[in-house]
Amino acid sequence: MTDRPTNNEREELIADARGGAFDAWEAAELPLLMDILADPSTWAEPGAGLEEAIVHAVAEAEPTTKPARASAARRTPRRRRRRRLLVSALAAAAAIMAIVVATVVVTRGGTSPDYEARLTATGPAPGARGEAEITRNDAGFQTTLHAEGLPALRPGEFYQAWLKNAGGTLVPIGTFSSSEGQVTLWSGVSPKDFPTLTVTIETADNDQSSSGRRVLTGEVHAT
Amino acid sequence: MPTQSLQTYAPAVVASRRMEESVLAAFRRREASGIRALYREYGRLVYAVAHRVLGHHDLAEEAAQQTFVRAWQAADRIDVDRDPASWLATIARRVAIDVHRREARRPATALNDVPADDPALVSLPPDLDALDAVWHVRRAIDELPREEATVVRLQHLDGLTHNEISEQLGIALGTVKSRSHRAHQKLAALLGHLREVPHD
Repeated sequence: MTDRPTNNEREELIADARGGAFDAWEAAELPLLMDILADPSTWAEPGAGLEEAIVHAVAEAEPTTKPARASAARRTPRRRRRRRLLVSALAAAAAIMAIVVATVVVTRGGTSPDYEARLTATGPAPGARGEAEITRNDAGFQTTLHAEGLPALRPGEFYQAWLKNAGGTLVPIGTFSSSEGQVTLWSGVSPKDFPTLTVTIETADNDQSSSGRRVLTGEVHAT
Repeated sequence: MPTQSLQTYAPAVVASRRMEESVLAAFRRREASGIRALYREYGRLVYAVAHRVLGHHDLAEEAAQQTFVRAWQAADRIDVDRDPASWLATIARRVAIDVHRREARRPATALNDVPADDPALVSLPPDLDALDAVWHVRRAIDELPREEATVVRLQHLDGLTHNEISEQLGIALGTVKSRSHRAHQKLAALLGHLREVPHD
């Protein structure tokens, strides 16, 4: 595939079809239209099972389900006590499990990463390289990026890191302005599901989609 | 912002099929056929809005499901004389934002360890103003003939040129251009109205 068309080139498709000059409102909304058309969310499709899931969910939510709850209220006091004891025991077990998990997470914090990636240069920055270590914790996925040789930024530009899945969906995980030292990024999605880490150059232009100006890319692997 | 309705400006794009009154009446009576009909008409729009906010398939499906459940629970308030798009879009937006807030609360504790002025910390709240626009654009795309929608997708999402699309689809370059032109004419008609509330 060639480089992704620029926003200007994509806007020209609309302008040609429009067949006349844009008025002020149209011109103001053109970047938004471009953003939405380039957003994978716009083209995303729900799963085939969602309709049945919704039909099932609304059936559960129907007022007609209330008589079932009314019958539950007829339980004997002894059965209710047993039920409360069971619920209490399960809650206690869940609390203990949560403490154990939290302890493990805290203990592991800052020791060894769960994922790592070696990033290599793409066309615009042949001398660039980088390494990333990704650690899962209760906040999500903390990524420590060490990059060097990134191309100089022009005024108004910044670097942005992304995780991408096999379907091409990009999730931004943070921005930075210098490759001096290490950079900390945060992701709410798992590298297991979004295994490609890229760094692009972006401009503060109210367009939150990727510019496509990749300077680093690499695959994330579990350690 | 213009005050005219979308239907006034762009009838070819958004004066879409309106659900039949009998279908809405069935929904209002909470009949299963009503929820299925509403989902088949608006399910993908609701999902697209939720996906825009949440950026994750599973969360978007969860939000879509909650949207229809809430609509179902409030079915007696639906106006069978009006297209329910605006009503449903409002519910979808609120539900998706609720889910986003719930998910955003999860990392709060650990992020306290990071200095508040850390330049690596980026907050990416959903662009609420754009959600109605997502609804409009997705609906316009859904109403394009499939072959035109495919060309638009390849151009904007996959970043292909006319020539590349011609090769990929195995159709003549002129056909690609004409499909692209027709589709973009319809999409261009949305401009100037994307920030309006969904039409009813």
